[in-house]
Amino acid sequence: MKKAKFCIPLLICLISLCGCKKENLITEEGNLVPKTVEQDPTLPSISINGTMLHAEAFGNPDSAMVVVLHGGPGSDYRHLLNCKELASAGYYVIFYDQRGSGLSKRYSKSSYSTQVMLDDLSAVIAHYRKSNNQKVFLLGHSWGAILATAFINKYPTVISGTILAEPGGFTWADIEGYVSRSRDIKITSELISDFLYADQFITGKKDQHAILDYKYALLSAADGDKDNPIGDEGALPFWRPGAVVNQALFELGDKEKPDWTTHLHKYNTRVLFVYSERNRAYGLAYAQKVSSAYANVQLFKVNGAGHDMLSFPTGWSNFYPVALNYLNSLK
Amino acid sequence: MKRITIYTAFVASLVLSGNAFSQSINWQSLDKEQRHIININAGAEYGSTVGAGYGYQLKSKLPIVLNLELSFPTGDKLTDDFKTKIGGYIRLYQINNFQFSAKIQGVFRRYENSLASLVNFGSEMTGTVGYYKPKWFFAGEAGFDKAIVTHFKHSTVYKQNFPSVKDGWYEPATGGNFHYGLQTGYSFRRNDIYLKAGKLVSQDFNTTPLLPFYLQIGYNIRL
Repeated sequence: MKKAKFCIPLLICLISLCGCKKENLITEEGNLVPKTVEQDPTLPSISINGTMLHAEAFGNPDSAMVVVLHGGPGSDYRHLLNCKELASAGYYVIFYDQRGSGLSKRYSKSSYSTQVMLDDLSAVIAHYRKSNNQKVFLLGHSWGAILATAFINKYPTVISGTILAEPGGFTWADIEGYVSRSRDIKITSELISDFLYADQFITGKKDQHAILDYKYALLSAADGDKDNPIGDEGALPFWRPGAVVNQALFELGDKEKPDWTTHLHKYNTRVLFVYSERNRAYGLAYAQKVSSAYANVQLFKVNGAGHDMLSFPTGWSNFYPVALNYLNSLK
Repeated sequence: MKRITIYTAFVASLVLSGNAFSQSINWQSLDKEQRHIININAGAEYGSTVGAGYGYQLKSKLPIVLNLELSFPTGDKLTDDFKTKIGGYIRLYQINNFQFSAKIQGVFRRYENSLASLVNFGSEMTGTVGYYKPKWFFAGEAGFDKAIVTHFKHSTVYKQNFPSVKDGWYEPATGGNFHYGLQTGYSFRRNDIYLKAGKLVSQDFNTTPLLPFYLQIGYNIRL
């Protein structure tokens, strides 16, 4: 009994010693994750559709626009900055972090919908577009390619061409299947430990975005892991992931079971649909299945790359000439 | 002031917190002369885990077992993530075969991936109510695991993404998860085999950990 009385105070003393240095607040923006455009006015931003988005544009503003749509949902455009090269090839390249993602403004989970994401995209195009004659192309990666398709499905006449890189699917059933395959990881692997073990260290409450986003950021360590089926060469650069928007849009998908193919037959423009050689969860058969929702498809396999084929040198060097030829053919 | 806050949080959490994952004891088969309990276990607890523990039964009126536990998640790097616990297990009430016990433990745990390493002091407590016979037992358990204070150290990779990240100790409490579940076991001679399983929910009751359940199969030998 004496030992029991001794152990607990000893532990308390240890904890107290740890408290001697000045502590940081886990809830404070800018400690573990960078501040958003709402908190840091030095960041490049645009105010559209009642929100503030982290955004940048490169190239001649009068040239044909290429709007780059990042994945996630909740990722950011930092790992897609290779696409800036299109600016030197004569395009006006627009990057923005989607609502609740990257360095854009955060919101509560209940505020998100697919429609508000589409409205933001409409507003981004309107913000940067100089004239009605200016062509607009979408370049979407992963979730960004789904968003591009949802936009074309809703507004089939607005977009002059689109490049889609490994969308998980255009129907909820396909997306669920792809997500399941892309997370098919051995339960005893280090990758699974890296995914799951942090949950006992950090548990943010709803709208504690700094904590939730940081926790989500830690998961990105798994991107380049050898056990990860998506086949990336390494970890992706990022600013700050959006945990709440990611959860919100997945929950909405699960609830609403969206089908973003219903009006794609009205879109006859050729679509460049790319998939990667190394993503074990994708492959030719699935790329053919998903892309068949479009009437006119140019399918291309990016060799030497995984899911994030636009972000690493080999994938980008294989992708870029094909993408440029495609855009030039529709310019 | 911050020292006091951490101290208070730790003491409070010792009172309020809980533990789902430690070894289970069949109080009815634990002889007063059996001083040592050695445990091995495997299961799922924020990942797939393996663990071992040692318990020492005090000579006291109420049965009290002091214990020390160590567990690792599986993976290539066995020592980058781990959890140690030190504390005590006490049977508080007994009415015939029904027994109520409580376990209070201090926790020291570590997590590392290519972006950051986290070191945490926390606490866990579980209340267990069950029906215990010399050969078997069945019980329900509930409690809370509190991550009280955590040290964050970031890798070069993370600092390339966010150079201004602040390493160091963070407060207030960085995490906490409730748990509730069932446990059952079979005892023979000096041995116990037990199985426990349950659910996890975050402290806001709105979210769950990515692995929202726990499961453990364990073996005790009493000496």
